[in-house]
Amino acid sequence: MKKLYIHPLPVRIWHWTNAVGFVLLILSGLQIRYLDLFQWVTFRTAVVAHNWIGFVLIANFFIWLGFYLFSDKIKVYHPELSPTKYFQASFKQIQFYGYGIFRGEPNPHHPSAYRKFNPLQSMMYQIIMMMLVPAQFFTGLLLWDVARFSSIVEALGGLRVVDTVHVLLFIVFSGFIVVHVYLASLGHTPSAHFKAMLTGYEEIEDEEEHH
Amino acid sequence: MNSSHPFTGLMAGLRPNRLVIAGLIGLFIGLAGLSAQAEEVELAKAEKDCLACHDKEGVKKTLQNGEVLSMRISTKAYVESMHKENSCEDCHADLDAKTHGKVKSDIKSKRDFTVSQGDVCKECHKKKYAQYDDSVHAALIKEGSKKAPLCSDCHNPHTVQSVKLVQPIEATPCVKCHEPIFKAYSKDVHGLERVAKGKSAPLCSDCHQAHDVKAASLGEGVKDTCIGCHKEALAQHADWLPNTGRHFAAISCPACHAPNAQRRVNLRLFDGATNAQISEKSGVPQFARLANDADAKGMGLDERALWSLLKEFSQEGADNKTVLRGRLEVRSGVEAHQLSEKSKALKDCNVCHKEGASPFQSVTLTIAGPDGRPLRHGVQTAVLSSLTSMDSVRGFYAIGSTRIKLLDILLVLVVAGAVCVPLGHMTIKRLFKGVRERLEAERLAAQHAAAAGAPQPDETAPK
Repeated sequence: MKKLYIHPLPVRIWHWTNAVGFVLLILSGLQIRYLDLFQWVTFRTAVVAHNWIGFVLIANFFIWLGFYLFSDKIKVYHPELSPTKYFQASFKQIQFYGYGIFRGEPNPHHPSAYRKFNPLQSMMYQIIMMMLVPAQFFTGLLLWDVARFSSIVEALGGLRVVDTVHVLLFIVFSGFIVVHVYLASLGHTPSAHFKAMLTGYEEIEDEEEHH
Repeated sequence: MNSSHPFTGLMAGLRPNRLVIAGLIGLFIGLAGLSAQAEEVELAKAEKDCLACHDKEGVKKTLQNGEVLSMRISTKAYVESMHKENSCEDCHADLDAKTHGKVKSDIKSKRDFTVSQGDVCKECHKKKYAQYDDSVHAALIKEGSKKAPLCSDCHNPHTVQSVKLVQPIEATPCVKCHEPIFKAYSKDVHGLERVAKGKSAPLCSDCHQAHDVKAASLGEGVKDTCIGCHKEALAQHADWLPNTGRHFAAISCPACHAPNAQRRVNLRLFDGATNAQISEKSGVPQFARLANDADAKGMGLDERALWSLLKEFSQEGADNKTVLRGRLEVRSGVEAHQLSEKSKALKDCNVCHKEGASPFQSVTLTIAGPDGRPLRHGVQTAVLSSLTSMDSVRGFYAIGSTRIKLLDILLVLVVAGAVCVPLGHMTIKRLFKGVRERLEAERLAAQHAAAAGAPQPDETAPK
C-alpha cells in the first residue's frame, strides 16, 4: 500500500460543507414540501434555514470552482476526448461494479493526483457540478424571492415550471446521495474512501499486488 | 398736495398704529358681514316661486307605471345643501313654465326619471362624471341594469352635502344596495374604528372610490388602496414572511386579515403579452359559451378543458397568449369586509402549505364581464396538482398544498431505487464471498507457483 495525496484541502472543505449542506437542504426541503408528513421545526424555520443553507452552498460552489479554475488540478475533470477510449474504459468500470467486484477482481481504474475519477465518475461529476448543481442553485435563487426575479421566472415558463425543475433535481440529488455513500464504501476497505476524503490521502494498492 | 383736504387731514391726524387698528376693525366688520350673508342664503324670486309649491306636504306625481314620485323639496335642506347657489332652472331647464304642473306627466317610472336627469349633473361635474362613466356602476347601466346607481341615487340633488360631513357611517349611500357588506364592515376593524375615531379609518369610498368604483375582485386596485394607507405593510411583512413580494402578489389582503373567512383560488385570465386582465367583449358571451362547452357535465373544468379553453382564448386574442394568474382570496364580498385586528390575522404557514389545505379546495376561473363584474366558472381542484395542467396554471403555485402528485411518486421510486440497488449489490457481494475467497486463494496459489517456477534473477543473468 502506498498513500497518494489526491484530495487537496480546499476540495475537502468544499466536499464536506457541500455534503452537510445537501443533507440539511434535503431534510428542510422534505419538510417544506411534505409538511403533512414532516414537522421537525416550524415551516417558517425550515424555509429560512433552507434559504440560508442554499446561499452558503452557492458560496461554497464558488470555492470549488475557484480552486479548480486556478489550479492545475482541473485536469481531474478533463474529459477523455476519444469516444472509443472513453466508452471502453466506462464499460470496463461498469463490468467491474456489475461483475468483477463480486469476484474480487481489481478496480480497473488506478487513481492518481490528476486522474482521481474513474470514467463514470468523471462524466457524472461534470454533469452534476456543471449542470445539475448550478441549475439547482439558480432555481433555488429564483424561488427564494419570486417577486424579485419575476421576469426570469416568467421567461422560464412560470413559477410552477421553475419549482418542478427544482423538485426534479431534489429527487435526483436525494437518490444520488444514497448511491454516492454506497459507492464510497466500495474501496479496498469500506471506510477507505471516507478516510481519504477526510485526510486527503488515498491508500493505493501496489501494482504488483494485482498481478 | 394740499394738506387742507378733509380726507388727508383725517389721515394725517391718525398715528400709524391707530391706522392699522382701524384697518383691522374695518376688515373684521367686513368679513363678519360676508359670513352672515353666506349663512342666510337669500333665494332668488324664481326659486322662492318654485319652493312655494314644492315645499308643501303631499306634493307628488303619479307616474305612468303607477309609482308615486314625491315632488316635495325642503327649503331648509335646500339652502343647507351644496347646490344652494344653483337655481332650479340650472338643472330643470327642460320645464316649460306655461305647461308646468298643468299637463299629465309623461314620466314612465322613477328609474326612467333618474336616467333622464343623468346628463344634467355632467354639465357641472365633468371630471366626476368621467370617472363614474368608467365605473362598474355605469357599465352595469350600459348593459341594461335597472338597479345600478345613477348620480341622484347616491346624491340627492336637493339635499346634497359635502361628503366630509357624512355622519354617521350608515349615511353612506352604498348601504342602500350593499347592505350585507356594510353590516360586515360596520363590525370589522375599519368600521369600528370609523365610529370610534372618525375619518382616520376608511369608509366604503375610501377603498373602492366613490365614482370610478371597480369590481374589487378584479385587478389590484383595492390591494393598492390597502397599501396606500398601510405604507409600512410590505416592510413589516418582510420581517417575518419569506417571499413577501410573492405573497403580496398572489394573496389578497383579506385572505389572511379576515381569519374566519373561507378562501378559494381565483384563476384569472390575463393577456400574456400586455399583462392586462382579459375582459369579455360586450355582446359576445364567449367565456360562458366556451366554459359551458368545455364542462358539459357541470363538474368544473378539468385539466384538459382548462387547457382547451385557454387555447381558444389565445386564438381569439390574435398573437397574444392567454395565461392564468392565480390569486388566493376570500370567497365573498361580505367576508372581504370581516377584517380583524392585526394581532388576529393569520400567520400560521400550515394553513396554506399543508397538503389538503382548505384554501385550495375551491377553485374558480374568472374573466372581467362586459358590465365590469367578474364572470366565473368552477374548476376542479385536481388541476392545481396535476402535471398536465402545469402550463395552464403555471402562474399559481403554493408549496406543499398544490404540489404535483406525479413528482411525489417519482421521489418515492428514485429513493427506493437508490436504497434497493445498493442493498441488492451488497447482498450479491455477500453471496459471492465464497467465490471471491476461492478465486483469491487460486490467485495467490498461482502467484506462488509462478514465483516458485520462475527462474531466479541471478540464475538467468548472463555470466
